[in-house]
Amino acid sequence: MSFRHVDQYAAVVSPVTRTVPTARLLGTVTLAAGSAALPFGAWMPLAVLFLAVLLIARAARVPARQLFIRTTGPFVLVFLASAGLLVLVPGEPLFTLGVLKVSSQGLERFAFVLGRASVALSAAVILVSTTSFPELLHAFRELRLPHVVTASLGVGYRLLYILVDELERLQRAARSRNAGTGSTTRRRLLVGITAAGLSRAFSRGERTHRAMLARGYAGDVPALFSQSWDRRSTLALVMLVLLVGIVLGGAHILS
Amino acid sequence: MEMLVVVSDLSYRYPDGTAALNGVSFAVAAGERVALLGPTGSGKSTLLQHLNGLLPATAGSVAIAGITVVPSTLRDVRRRVGLVFQDPNDQLFLPTLLEDVAFAPLNDGVPAHEAAHLARETLAELGLAGVEHRAAHHLSGGERRLAALATVLVSRPAVLVLDEPTGDLDARSRRRLVGLLLRREETLLVATHDLGIAESLCRRGVVLHEGRVVADAALGDLLVDRALLERYGLAAPLE
Repeated sequence: MSFRHVDQYAAVVSPVTRTVPTARLLGTVTLAAGSAALPFGAWMPLAVLFLAVLLIARAARVPARQLFIRTTGPFVLVFLASAGLLVLVPGEPLFTLGVLKVSSQGLERFAFVLGRASVALSAAVILVSTTSFPELLHAFRELRLPHVVTASLGVGYRLLYILVDELERLQRAARSRNAGTGSTTRRRLLVGITAAGLSRAFSRGERTHRAMLARGYAGDVPALFSQSWDRRSTLALVMLVLLVGIVLGGAHILS
Repeated sequence: MEMLVVVSDLSYRYPDGTAALNGVSFAVAAGERVALLGPTGSGKSTLLQHLNGLLPATAGSVAIAGITVVPSTLRDVRRRVGLVFQDPNDQLFLPTLLEDVAFAPLNDGVPAHEAAHLARETLAELGLAGVEHRAAHHLSGGERRLAALATVLVSRPAVLVLDEPTGDLDARSRRRLVGLLLRREETLLVATHDLGIAESLCRRGVVLHEGRVVADAALGDLLVDRALLERYGLAAPLE
């Protein structure tokens, strides 16, 4: 899957894509914050949130397989980052890995962190799969993110494609001359291509800046869009917030 | 005849000391279509960037509609001169085409809804209606070139300055672009080493060589002067 097609479900008409991007973004934040705020050991509420995410994915026509594949990369990072819990949380030793003792409490905490991450990551994957980058930017603007951040993200997004194209061209040119057959040569080639790519990025940046100046740029990239909320989006968001609220409330009462 | 562009004894040296322009002088009348001819490295792009005040003259001057290009007049000058860069990717840097085309009007203080309207109108004029919300990397080379043109036409400039406008276009896209440009009324200055495009668009040619104007005449006369074309690298010598 190329990053070029990450938003491939944005064009699919679904109950999710019919809501405004800001509602989708807020819904994602609600789910992620909800799962993070669950008290430790609240497995049932966590399962309810995960089920809600799966239902949203189904409504958005994002196949479960795609959801799984796209979540895997960041999930591995969370897995590695939280693996320390297995041995750092004190408790009854369950088994030993060399000198490290894995406690049952550590295992449970580790599994719960992964569960929380699954909800948040799946929600984020649904968001980026159903929302194009320009729509996401508009959502950020609606939520009053600093203009300098949204403007930089916007320009960066466009430049990313240009730079990747240039890197691909450099790579093709090198391969066409049989470059990079051995692992050492491949590493050298990668260094060479990266250096050439950076140098090109620098001159590209300079040329783009000139093109901006030529059209009256004076230090600010003005925003063009504003989006209007509709009843459907409000209703969907309110329902989601209520669901997460009830799940959280229930979890805290039970704990 | 009213002279819209006046370049007087213009010289420019790059910061490393390389002389790019050496005493260039010429004038372009309102409504005139001029081809700036010369091989790669002759100083065409450098000259074009002076018309928009992107590069400061080392010596000499440039005036657009009577306004001398100096730091205090850059805003006015850039409103009058629409510069289309050689690589459309340099010009299309925002996430959607509509934002890219509305960029100049927004910088001029036009309200957002009006800028969006102007941008849509300009894109439609160039046959790009319906792709407003696409990113430039989802367009074909020809569409990208037209989109880059739209980003300057939206400001209704008095002078349209194009740097190698057909370099990466196939025959059909070239025809489409030439057809569109021929219908426009702006004063046109086209830098190219493609004599076919120059002939299709312009009546007058200015030949640059090593940063100097070496010929300035009716394009028809220049194109039949085989010796001149060969001498300045605009045509290959006959075998």
